Amino acid sequence: MSRSPLLLDEVNERQGLFARRTVLFGGLAGAGLLALGGRLVQLQLLEADKYAVLSEHNEFDFQLTPPPRGLILDRHGVVLASNRPDFRLLLAKDESVDVDRVLASLSELMPIDDGRMRRLRAEIEAAPRRQPIAVVEDMSWEEFSRVNVRAPELPGVTADMGEVRVYPFSAAFAHVVGYVAKVSAKDITKTGPNSEPILLNPGFRIGKQGIEKSYDLQLRGKPGARKVEVDVKGRVVRKDPQGDIPSVPGSPIRLTLDADIQNRALEVFGADSGAAVMMDCRSGEVLCLFSAPSFDANAFVRGVSGPDYRALAEYERKPLFNKALTATYPPGSTFKTMVALAALERGVDPSRSYTCHKHWFWGGRSWGCDKAHGTLDLKGAIAQSCDIYFYQLALSIGPDPIARVARFFGLGQKHDIGIPGQKVGLVPDTAYKRRAFPRDPVWHPGETPSMGIGQGYVSVNALQLCIQAARLANGRVALEPRLVQSVGDVAQVSTVQPPELPFAQDHLAFIREAMTAVVTSGTAAHVADLGLGPIRMAGKTGTAQSHNYGAGSHGSHGAQGAWDQRDHAWFIAFAPYDDPRYAMSVLVEHGGFGADAAAPKAAQIMKVALLKDPQVRARIVQPIPTSAPGPAPQTRLKSA
Amino acid sequence: MTATFINRQVDRDRFVVKLQHIDWTFCALLAAIAGVGAIVLYSIAGGSWSPWAAKHLILFGFCFVAMVLLATVDPRVWFTAAYPVYGVGLLMLLAVAVMGHSTMGAKRWLDLGPIRLQPSEIVKVGLVLALARFYQGLDPSKARLSWRLLIPAALIGAPAALVAHQPDLGTAILIAATGGLMMILAGLSLPLAGAVLAAVAAATPVAFAFVLKPYQRARLLTFLHPEADRSGSGYHIIQSKIALGSGGALGKGFGLGTQSQLNFLPEKSTDFIFSSMAEEFGFLGCVSVLALYAGVIYLGLRIASNAYSHFARMAAAGTIITFSMCVLINGAMVMGLAPVVGVPMPLLSFGGTVMITMMAGFALVLSAKVHRYSEVGSGRGSIV
Repeated sequence: MSRSPLLLDEVNERQGLFARRTVLFGGLAGAGLLALGGRLVQLQLLEADKYAVLSEHNEFDFQLTPPPRGLILDRHGVVLASNRPDFRLLLAKDESVDVDRVLASLSELMPIDDGRMRRLRAEIEAAPRRQPIAVVEDMSWEEFSRVNVRAPELPGVTADMGEVRVYPFSAAFAHVVGYVAKVSAKDITKTGPNSEPILLNPGFRIGKQGIEKSYDLQLRGKPGARKVEVDVKGRVVRKDPQGDIPSVPGSPIRLTLDADIQNRALEVFGADSGAAVMMDCRSGEVLCLFSAPSFDANAFVRGVSGPDYRALAEYERKPLFNKALTATYPPGSTFKTMVALAALERGVDPSRSYTCHKHWFWGGRSWGCDKAHGTLDLKGAIAQSCDIYFYQLALSIGPDPIARVARFFGLGQKHDIGIPGQKVGLVPDTAYKRRAFPRDPVWHPGETPSMGIGQGYVSVNALQLCIQAARLANGRVALEPRLVQSVGDVAQVSTVQPPELPFAQDHLAFIREAMTAVVTSGTAAHVADLGLGPIRMAGKTGTAQSHNYGAGSHGSHGAQGAWDQRDHAWFIAFAPYDDPRYAMSVLVEHGGFGADAAAPKAAQIMKVALLKDPQVRARIVQPIPTSAPGPAPQTRLKSA
Repeated sequence: MTATFINRQVDRDRFVVKLQHIDWTFCALLAAIAGVGAIVLYSIAGGSWSPWAAKHLILFGFCFVAMVLLATVDPRVWFTAAYPVYGVGLLMLLAVAVMGHSTMGAKRWLDLGPIRLQPSEIVKVGLVLALARFYQGLDPSKARLSWRLLIPAALIGAPAALVAHQPDLGTAILIAATGGLMMILAGLSLPLAGAVLAAVAAATPVAFAFVLKPYQRARLLTFLHPEADRSGSGYHIIQSKIALGSGGALGKGFGLGTQSQLNFLPEKSTDFIFSSMAEEFGFLGCVSVLALYAGVIYLGLRIASNAYSHFARMAAAGTIITFSMCVLINGAMVMGLAPVVGVPMPLLSFGGTVMITMMAGFALVLSAKVHRYSEVGSGRGSIV
């Protein structure tokens, strides 16, 4: 009440100024809100589509689903490689996951040994963030449910059912079919099919050996994708099956192999080391391609621990090695068929005789033979496998004609059957000496006798010897081996007609007769008996030196001495001798004499093929003579 | 005062009569905003009342009742309490600076047993009250330009500096801007205001280089180039814009916001709740909510202008200024127009202290309407 009117005016003026400035502020605030509204027009009306896409990218994730791997079948559709369900645990690491703690809780639920634990840690360490890693695979149902119950204690761990490769015949096809194993860092390439992200999928495996490796892409198929809604941590919130992209299964591959024959080879070899290859000598189809000893391919799918792998790798019989393709040996006396044919083609009379006294002196040294064979003609020399005959025969024709014949029979060449890692071996001739020995480019006559008995520079692999046997048996064309019958539905037929063999038919028939004599009266008499009546086998034994003996030293020759000092045993064969259908080669590493070690195995394996062949069986099973009471059918089959 | 205004003084003092004079439209707008907040909080919790929506509604209800009761309190009480409230707020800020509880690398909270207080919120109300009280007593001729204006400058500067030290740059700027705007409303020379603003603008690059903490610098840089760091500091802005933009005109629908439901949107219940809302309710929802805010600002400023006492005018206007600054800064932030600073969207965001102090401020606004004919002391002890 003490205020003057002037003061009141001042007060009113203050209110007026306040009111004006309030309006000003209100205007500014309104303008600010309008600006926000304008921004909303831009974001929500004009650019809404762009942000809708971005939101969708945030929300949805496509998770690759591995395609089922193509089956591998034998010629009759027997499954050699298939897939089975696999209960496994995946661990995706992100900031919220304490890997050590999770692994510790897991090891309480199931045994995880130290080595596995160490490898797991390294694997998890190396994996990108949120990339799931298969921590445990192949769980039993009990383990799987035990983990599922305790899932809340295991952050980052998801249980899942995948597929894993399984080889029903674990060992019989381990080399030829090969195996798949986890993708290692060096498998991944920057470009090409092995750069695809599916390789990072947990539990994904690629072919590492054999057909699994060479036909990996066809077997692999095309990965699909599962559309899932994820939260900001990449965890799956919801699945959207409508958005899924189905995977394309891998193509099945049908091989020309016959599971029965292959399995018989596995049985026949037992613990022995070696290889057996069988071909149909009319079509070239490979019926058996076996290397012994073998190993469990399924173990490699799971992953072989360091000690286990070392045990396999360091075993002297080398189970991991495919001896049918990737090892070469001197062919030994099996090569005498080539020398003999070369001689016949050069016009040598098959009645030409040489006399064997167990020792033959030539070129200033003594050349040995198993025993004193006496006087032999060509057929007898093949049947008895007389070295002294062939030293002289080879000398009389020289190395080049022999090499020419050997090459026509597939030696010294690579035969593509779709498996990598073949060793070519060597068929030497004068040109080879000139090429390979610049300091001593001359073929010395002293090198010819060794070549005549398949020693010296000559080296072959088991597949090549089988091809040689098949071409001898076929007699007309230079058959090429074929292992893959079809990929998917596409038959793998060679469009190239196999070239004709430029040899006189009577010469080839002579060799076949001589090979028959090997089994009936020669080196393999009694040991290669099929016991199938009229169905008999023809063959040729071979005993190849596994190392250079010291001059004149025969101390560890043959089947005596330490295992790794013994000779390699070969046997090549075809059957039936009068109507050849199947040809094969058998190698027994350090087996000693070919007749003792390899020929019986060849007979055992050959028998399976013959008995499976209906036309051969028809020849064995004779119609029952109506006059006499016949024995029981089983015995009849044997005695017929 | 003139007799016509103050007849039937006794009637006006009756509680029921006071309730009738409360601006219920204003209250309805506040409730509407808080209601929208609860709906959004319910939705982003995956259709659940916990952990946010129920608490939000209960707290709002409690504050609402308190606000209405406080609105009937005579402005003279506020007037008397102004400096003490400011003082307590300032002391608490000091206490936080000395022994505060640190979250996310910043000391902002004071742990008082069961309650954790954010003193910067209390000082916001305290500052509004203190400035209102100061200007009530200031000779109107001095409000334009005078050495006495150093006092409000100090009143503003002290809490702003302490809050900036926490460090909470957003709130510090908010406090400084609110105080500055109140001074302008009180009559500060506009050329001087412009000069100060220009000086601040000029000092910004210097402050950027020497005063700001690395994370603050990063946030500012991120604001300028959000695409440069998609997973780090730029993440907030990008995800918020995606949430807003993907909402489109009509939104993805209630409970269907993937950005918020799947946690791509950070701070979805607090600082970025507007984006959560925008994603589900679209442009239409955003504009409606902004209209509610505009209504609150309009009604609040009208109440302030119509109050008789300068204290009530200033207090009401100060509250509305704080409120509008919050809305504008938060809005600009979530829309990618301003750097990420910790300023919530008033009434919409979940958060205790902010709600309490904001509602206390609204009590001042309502009180200014209820007591629009009353005068308070001039600061020299005289009650009219």
